[in-house]
Amino acid sequence: MTVLILTSEEDVTADMVVVHLNGAGVPVVRLDPADLTGSVALSGEYVHGAFRGHLSAAGRLVSIGGLRSIWVRRPGPPATRAPAPSSWLTEEASQALYGMLRGSDACWMNHPDAARRARHKPWQLRLAQRSGLPVPATLITTFPQAAREFAARYPDLVVKPVSGAHPQDPPRAVPTSRVAPDTDFSAVAYGPTLLQRRVAKRADIRLTVVGDRMLAARKAVADDADPDEVDVRFAVNSLSWCPVDVPPRVADAVREYMAGAELAYGAFDFAEDADGTWWFLECNQSGQFGFVEVDTGQPIARSVAEWLARPDPRRRAGVDGADTAVR
Amino acid sequence: MQPFALNYARPAVELEVTIPYAYDSGLQLNVLLDGRIAACDHGLMRELGTTTSTAGSKTHFDD
Repeated sequence: MTVLILTSEEDVTADMVVVHLNGAGVPVVRLDPADLTGSVALSGEYVHGAFRGHLSAAGRLVSIGGLRSIWVRRPGPPATRAPAPSSWLTEEASQALYGMLRGSDACWMNHPDAARRARHKPWQLRLAQRSGLPVPATLITTFPQAAREFAARYPDLVVKPVSGAHPQDPPRAVPTSRVAPDTDFSAVAYGPTLLQRRVAKRADIRLTVVGDRMLAARKAVADDADPDEVDVRFAVNSLSWCPVDVPPRVADAVREYMAGAELAYGAFDFAEDADGTWWFLECNQSGQFGFVEVDTGQPIARSVAEWLARPDPRRRAGVDGADTAVR
Repeated sequence: MQPFALNYARPAVELEVTIPYAYDSGLQLNVLLDGRIAACDHGLMRELGTTTSTAGSKTHFDD
């Protein structure tokens, strides 16, 4: 049984997992859907009540029925590197590829439906609340007056993108940023705006969940940190990520979140306050983990590989073990 | 008419380092010029920042 990895060629974080799969002798086929109709090809037939499908990439051929698991890491949009790309071709290729894969019995990390839903930050905040995780007071609005009233109640605010996406025309980054108390909120009318009470944090927490394994890392806020730099991704901090235990109550809530979100993988961001409380900020369903493993030595890549290679409990005994990838 | 959140945008910083590895489709891994697997060199990964939470933001929602 083969592990299928959908990601870009330059994804060295995926490499970290491929190394472990290779070491365990697990067959792997890695491809980027962007290369469909170029170096990637597919075929599937539905005849006499049965489906038989195949994918090929760089000389490897794999049966869709022989997939053990599918890791949707960082795939490009299908067929965008085709000789004659178009939005129509991308939609056609997407329907063909993901439609066939959805018909397989493979385990997903993460299933596209769960992944799409899990990207919605407002939905994340509600699920986190329901799961018992502390969530900072948050407002998402296009009403300037609502923003003013929220700022009056919570004078120490941050703003961040609702989607987490960064504008590309021109390329810009929108880090989580502090909002001054006397800010003019009239521009809130021009786009949904996410305002959140700032957590006076003493550390950032990145909790990586792989199946039922939790690997948490902590990065303390430096003593000389600029108080206006609140986004750990953009702040200059010479301190390293260090392994940290997950408080049992947080672990229970995170398990509930993962079950509710139907995710096999999630990268949670928390802000740890002066009392040691972990405040939920977000859960990235495909969050990076290489930088944490590099700093902490935590076996995140190995955990992902073990999850992808595990026997599927839904399959009948005796089915596993067949190598369906050929070169 | 600019949305409020974009008042806090800053120019995107592209990686300025030269990536010293290339994808080997036979191995399905990125390989350094001397043949070593790039992902096994954690010191290099830390230096390049290609596994950090801002890497890939240009094309993906999730960091």
